Amino acid sequence: MERQQTPVHDPDKASGVTRERALTTAALAAGGALVTVTAIGAADRSNAAPSAERDKRVLNLLLRVEYTEAAFYAAALKDAGLTGELEDYARVVLAHEQEHVGFLKGALGDAADPEPDYDFAAVTADEDAFADAAAKLEDIAVGAYNGQAANVTKSAFLAAARIVSVEARHAAWIRSIRDADPAPDAVDSPFDEQRVRRGLRELGVQS
Amino acid sequence: MSDALPIDLVDVDVDDALAEAHHGLTRAGFIVAGGAAIAGLGALAPTTGAAVPASDREVLNYALVLEYLQAAFYTESERSKALKGKTAEAAKVVGAVERAHVKAFRELLGKKAVGRPHFDFQGVTEKEGSFLKTAVAFEDLAVAAYKGQARRIRSKSVLTSALGIHTVEARHAAWMRYLNGDQPAVSAFDLPQSRKEIDKIVASTKFISRRPRSTSRSKPRYTG
Repeated sequence: MERQQTPVHDPDKASGVTRERALTTAALAAGGALVTVTAIGAADRSNAAPSAERDKRVLNLLLRVEYTEAAFYAAALKDAGLTGELEDYARVVLAHEQEHVGFLKGALGDAADPEPDYDFAAVTADEDAFADAAAKLEDIAVGAYNGQAANVTKSAFLAAARIVSVEARHAAWIRSIRDADPAPDAVDSPFDEQRVRRGLRELGVQS
Repeated sequence: MSDALPIDLVDVDVDDALAEAHHGLTRAGFIVAGGAAIAGLGALAPTTGAAVPASDREVLNYALVLEYLQAAFYTESERSKALKGKTAEAAKVVGAVERAHVKAFRELLGKKAVGRPHFDFQGVTEKEGSFLKTAVAFEDLAVAAYKGQARRIRSKSVLTSALGIHTVEARHAAWMRYLNGDQPAVSAFDLPQSRKEIDKIVASTKFISRRPRSTSRSKPRYTG
């Protein structure tokens, strides 16, 4: 077999995939996809119906993710000593995230939350720290959008759908650069709000 | 040459998708977790088409055809032995995932699942260059197709699952683009495409050589 040639995917280092998540996602990949996701989704979602008020809360959560991404890439370009492919990646993705921030702020208007504070010292220390954090952050973005999609009104949903696949492309791109598996799961699992906030805190979001 | 190369995926898909996907994950580093999860799968109740609203079934069957197309494409590419190195590895992993999607949709739809068409990939699976170009086109198409259909889905659970697959297709698109030397994410926003647009593009490839006669079979017939 050709197994040995496969780039080794270290779940803790390369993608931030926890064992817990690996269990879930492996089950999804193994053919129980729709059934298993149903169970996860039901546990994570509240029963509140989509509403304008709910949209604000959800869009602000997504804005928080986008603020963090934009600030992270800007900090990394300044501090992480990025070169070559990593630098190209960071420049392109920074521009995308800034567009996403602008879009969500525009959609929220006066209801937009202020930008949080960050401490990105650890995640921009060098290229390795940057690449690991970028993969984790992009996965959080994918999970956040997927986790909230069913909670919002149709117009917010349509807008979010145009962004989420771009986040997934970023997630695969950074992994491709690092020779990690760009798409380790058959189905991307939705993240609930708590998991999104916790993930962001772990990467340096302060407030 | 419409029927010159009909590939029949029965032997590789229906039962092997599970093991194949498991191999993909094992190679990705999920040895322990994957094994545990597979062992736990037997406890899941089988799904039936009855639980899914009719309009969602229609969307799912549409997605199933695109998944059949992708699964067959990767499977045939893998068999052609034309791919090398990272591209061969990617085709193997992505193919396993597309077959897992086929299997999941078929299980969810049960007897309402549309049958598998016959494919003729017009030789694109026989060279690495044409494989990658086609893979990029397919994956970008799948992203746009899922996005175009998502808002029509009524069931929350089906929607959440479809979106989770939608972003996996986007990961595949970025992966294939990277391997092909294309920028993986060219725009801040990915746009949806309508079913009419998608159908037109698929038809122009002539990759679907024959539609299945029956839509009610739970397993397609062998055609030799």
